[in-house]
Amino acid sequence: MNFQELPVKAKEILEQNKIAANDVVAVCPFDLTFEGTYTDGYMVLTRQKLAVITGNLEELGVRLFKGVTKAQKDAVSRVASFEVNIYDRKALSGFKVEHMVATNRLCAEKDDEPIGLAACTNLYLEDINHIRDILKLLDKDENAEITVQDTDKKNDKEDEELYCPHCHNKYPDPKRKICPKCMNKKSIFLRTIGYFTRNKFVILGLFLCYMLAAVLNIAWPYLSGTMLYDNVLGKNEEALAKFGLDNRYVVALIVLVIVMLGTKLLQLVTSIAQGTLTARLVTKTVRDMKKDVFSALETLSLNFYTSKQTGSLMTRVLRDADRVTGFFIDGFPYIFINAFTILATFTIMFMLNWMMSLVAVVLVPLLVVISIKLKPALWSLYGRRHRAESAVNSRVNDNLTGARVVRAFGQQGQEIDRFEGPNDNLREAEVRIVRYNNKFTLLYEMVQEISSIWVWALGVFLLLNWHSISLGVLITFVGYIGQLNGPMRFFSWVFRMWSDSINAAQRMFEIMDAVPEVVEKDNPIALENPRGEIVIKNMTFGYDPNHPVLKDINLHVKPGEMLGIVGHSGAGKTTLVNLLSRLYDVNTGSIEVDGIDVRDLSFKDLRRNIAMVSQDTYIFMGSVADNIAYADESVSRAKIIEAARLAGAHDFISKMPDGYDTIIGASGKSLSGGERQRISIARAIIANPKILILDEATASVDTKTEKAIQAALNVLVQGRTTLSIAHRLSTLRDANHLIVIEKGRIEEEGTRQELEELGGIYHKLAELQTKSLALKAIEED
Amino acid sequence: MNDNILNIKDTKFEKTAGGFVSMDLAGTFYKRVKPIRLFPFTDPSKYIAIHDEKDVEIGVIEDLAQLPKEAAALLQEQLELYYFTPVISKIINIKDEYGYAYFHVVTNRGECKFAINMGGNAVSKLSDNRLLITDLDGNRFEIADVLALSVKEQRKLDLFL
Repeated sequence: MNFQELPVKAKEILEQNKIAANDVVAVCPFDLTFEGTYTDGYMVLTRQKLAVITGNLEELGVRLFKGVTKAQKDAVSRVASFEVNIYDRKALSGFKVEHMVATNRLCAEKDDEPIGLAACTNLYLEDINHIRDILKLLDKDENAEITVQDTDKKNDKEDEELYCPHCHNKYPDPKRKICPKCMNKKSIFLRTIGYFTRNKFVILGLFLCYMLAAVLNIAWPYLSGTMLYDNVLGKNEEALAKFGLDNRYVVALIVLVIVMLGTKLLQLVTSIAQGTLTARLVTKTVRDMKKDVFSALETLSLNFYTSKQTGSLMTRVLRDADRVTGFFIDGFPYIFINAFTILATFTIMFMLNWMMSLVAVVLVPLLVVISIKLKPALWSLYGRRHRAESAVNSRVNDNLTGARVVRAFGQQGQEIDRFEGPNDNLREAEVRIVRYNNKFTLLYEMVQEISSIWVWALGVFLLLNWHSISLGVLITFVGYIGQLNGPMRFFSWVFRMWSDSINAAQRMFEIMDAVPEVVEKDNPIALENPRGEIVIKNMTFGYDPNHPVLKDINLHVKPGEMLGIVGHSGAGKTTLVNLLSRLYDVNTGSIEVDGIDVRDLSFKDLRRNIAMVSQDTYIFMGSVADNIAYADESVSRAKIIEAARLAGAHDFISKMPDGYDTIIGASGKSLSGGERQRISIARAIIANPKILILDEATASVDTKTEKAIQAALNVLVQGRTTLSIAHRLSTLRDANHLIVIEKGRIEEEGTRQELEELGGIYHKLAELQTKSLALKAIEED
Repeated sequence: MNDNILNIKDTKFEKTAGGFVSMDLAGTFYKRVKPIRLFPFTDPSKYIAIHDEKDVEIGVIEDLAQLPKEAAALLQEQLELYYFTPVISKIINIKDEYGYAYFHVVTNRGECKFAINMGGNAVSKLSDNRLLITDLDGNRFEIADVLALSVKEQRKLDLFL
């Protein structure tokens, strides 16, 4: 925000304290007092002074958080008065933002004493980080230039595209310009329709079937009622003369029976054709949708997965597509047919007898009103079922992946109990839906029955007392009422299907619309034969940009060199190598391969030239050979064997009864940690990358296997630039260069010897390991 | 047993000019200490770890109630801010739109409107009837007891139970 946006009262106070608008270099809003209540406050920074003005709120008002904030800020200020604290900027130093559980506090040092300047919720985290940066900048160099961009970076007005043009709400996800509030159900519907209309001919065929079925349906009661009873059996000369069948009753009867039989037969054929076409359409659409969701999932960045439950994602891929098609196949097309049937039936009924028709339809408006009123409740019931289903899936998923631990702790019983909770919830959710549906159905049926009884009563009355209608008309009429049963019932559940379907479609599109955080550039640079030089400049990165995990990293790895990365767990080592292969993008600074920013390289080239052997090995269901040839399926058998040999995997593979054709992975032969590791090394050899990343490649194996793997790795690293992360320092014996990462910073850097002599973190680690190794040796003796 | 429990009698807490709390522990002076709850949900006033400025644990206070009143109040104030979480007392509206849910609630800190992501774990159950809600920025809100809400409000929460 900038000075102009401050409330008038705040400006007045600043003026009284001789802070002029022109001197202001940064303004930062904050919303918490140190007592833990909400407030409206502002920090106003000039080169000399820092003014912290905290509002005394007249009334609390409504707090707006991300996703509901409006572009036009509340012009009305709820602040009655301001309390002001003016600090001499030069007296303050050591600025830092402390992250509390869900809030933040800007702290500094004053007269060697820690001091709290202001606190805010995460809403203003970005702003408070920003003012901290400027404070630090001024602290370093009093005359540092602060550009307009620096001060106005957070100015919302310039980022108009961050707000929804309709409701002026800020987009919850700035990268995805979709306003959930304005994204209505109609557009979801139209988008879903798109999946079906890809199959034009099938749909055309289906519509023909539907129309034919509808016409036949309408014709039937007329044939079996009026025609049969009144015209043929009742010997209605006039009517028969129209067909040239006057006085030839038997012939008329035979013709009628044949026509009726034909009608039934045609109905049957239509319904078979319709069934076949529907099956074809549904399966294809479901397949297309699943494919799209799955491919969307694959293109998404790693970050997306860490924020969602696996169970919930599985539900989306597997179940939701089925749900979506439900309405569109069993519902949508029949809306027209049933509407047509209802309209046509009513027209015929009105033509036959208006009085009885009126009685029949008098309750219909009631049904429509009820259906519309009950819809929102259904929507939330379906959402609830989805959540329950996801919870069950997650539980099963967790349990299956943790099967070993569960058994080791003898917790099977408890796990069963724990499964019961979500399972019961799901049952409850289903029951609620069924209960709700039953209510609905019951209501419809009642209206139906009442209408039907009224018509019967009125009909019999008309027939017996006034003879104003014939028996045939009454039977036709009742036939039509019966005919209406189906379509009416249809409309009773089509609303529910619509809710279910759109609900599921929404969840699917949500994934398809998610924007991958890491995207390939439009015209990426190809990297044909890289030398393998890596340069990292002033790089900072955090999974959440406001909480950096790596800070100010500078690195240079020459082609063919091996860089060892050492540090405590959680220091950011793995994050560093993940950034190199662009699983995430850096926040500031750059990572370059052969002098080209990795963000400018094509994904294909980047990942072809970088291979990773990590602690968690991904073995997929397939043969050993397939697993080794993961990076390049076309590779020859000889190459596969060579790679396995180099990786020290050939021996154990050839001892397996099925050799290289042994099926491994999920349901195949299980491999030991060391075996899996060696297969992934062989995989990396096939990939033949210029840059190799070893992330704790030997962490999960015993010393003997480690030696074997180490030998394999030594072959692998020849002629490649290698980044090797290791806990065991002995693995880094051959590294040309080592860095020690501590709390996201490179703390020590140099050759093994240099670090030894430095006597810092590395030295301590090395000492500890030598001791524990010695201890181990004693134990083993 | 090494549970690093502080001897209350050795401690002396004082408010600092900068708004923090300092501690004197049997003669050793810490110019700023940070209290941390070890069981923030299940036992907020017991097992309070005291950290020094570099976030290294000095020791643990078993129960705040053991401290003199003023000292306990000092630490309590720090804790309140550190664990700032408005407690929702009334739900005015919840709207579920395209992957986000919009909340309009009244909390013990005033009326709030915020949005959460439906796909993630924005609503977590601390116990059967206690919910912790995390908004898009990571701000926290709590519902202490779902059953204390009216039936109508509970129904609005249905989606998350």
